Amino acid sequence: MKGTTKSPPVVRLSEIIWSWIGAFLGIAAVALINGYLLEKQDLLMIIGSFGASAVLIYGAIKSPLAQPRNLLGGHVLSALIGVTAYKMFYPHLWLAASVAVATAIAVMHATKTLHPPGGATALIAVIGSQKIHSLGYLYAVIPAGLGAAIMLFVALLVNNIPKNRRYPEFWL
Amino acid sequence: MKDPYLDTNPMDISDDDIFMAMKGINGYLDITPGDFKEIYRLAYRHALDRMTHSVTAGEVMTTDVVFVKKDDPLETVAETMARLGIAGVPVVEPGEKVIGIVSEKDFLFHMGGKDAKSFMEVAAQCLRSTGCVAITMRRQKAEDIMTSPAITVRKDTPVSEIATIFTTRKINRVPITDDGGRLLGIVAREDIVKYSFSQSLRCQ
Repeated sequence: MKGTTKSPPVVRLSEIIWSWIGAFLGIAAVALINGYLLEKQDLLMIIGSFGASAVLIYGAIKSPLAQPRNLLGGHVLSALIGVTAYKMFYPHLWLAASVAVATAIAVMHATKTLHPPGGATALIAVIGSQKIHSLGYLYAVIPAGLGAAIMLFVALLVNNIPKNRRYPEFWL
Repeated sequence: MKDPYLDTNPMDISDDDIFMAMKGINGYLDITPGDFKEIYRLAYRHALDRMTHSVTAGEVMTTDVVFVKKDDPLETVAETMARLGIAGVPVVEPGEKVIGIVSEKDFLFHMGGKDAKSFMEVAAQCLRSTGCVAITMRRQKAEDIMTSPAITVRKDTPVSEIATIFTTRKINRVPITDDGGRLLGIVAREDIVKYSFSQSLRCQ
């Protein structure tokens, strides 16, 4: 249990600033666009997962977990798994939730799309409002896939503006 | 798994080296300095493996090999070794087929009796007794004191394998032979050291 190494070094100020700019623009874009497609209360939930994605795709852009494949693949696959788990195990929500998240992780691993916010997307498919449940599998496209795509678009623009930054590290 | 030959890493990297390198890269690096160090060492070993396995005996051997014939008298053998400053020589039979090796160790063993490990022991014995043990050896030939059969390898044997043979069999040279057992060249410990040193210089 004793640690064997140390924390990576702190990032430079420019990195902090560009992370802020990217996240601000990315979340603003998703919030504004999603506002036209879902009701206000559901909007809150999906922004939950995307807040987590923003940390990665604007704040840790070199991480394998933050790459486009992981962002899109992670959200879409986890959404599909979450919806499936809900349909299979309703009304046992504790079971649906745990199977959803665990399976999402396993599948993301197997498909090299591991993306932490995917776990949240899978969970939200189970515990989400009635509106989310009534979307059924469409949930994987709107808001999950679409939201991820919007944030990716902003990331591709903003992350590549400074000379010493680049994104993504890989596509496939 | 520890490999005594391959683990001699002349460029051992410190945690601080890695931390400083990470600081030089812009952005948050999603890896701990410890994991990075592990990857570095594994990658370095892979590179070393690849290079040492790709080099074969044929590429480092000396082809101008000194050898003696099996019925050469020991006086000639000793003189040859002394003149050329070598510590071991392959013994061949007609057709240049390698049948054994004579080395300093063989001379010591036969001159000093059972436990002679150094020249001084032999010298001491010589001075102690009324006649030197070596006198009876004057009538002997190469094949009488050689180590036989000789350990030999082919031209396409990787140098890393030869290094392992040197360590595990405790020998310092190995003749390179063709499929018929005929002498093609010889590889000694110094040849391997010289080669891997020049490789590690290239690595940088």
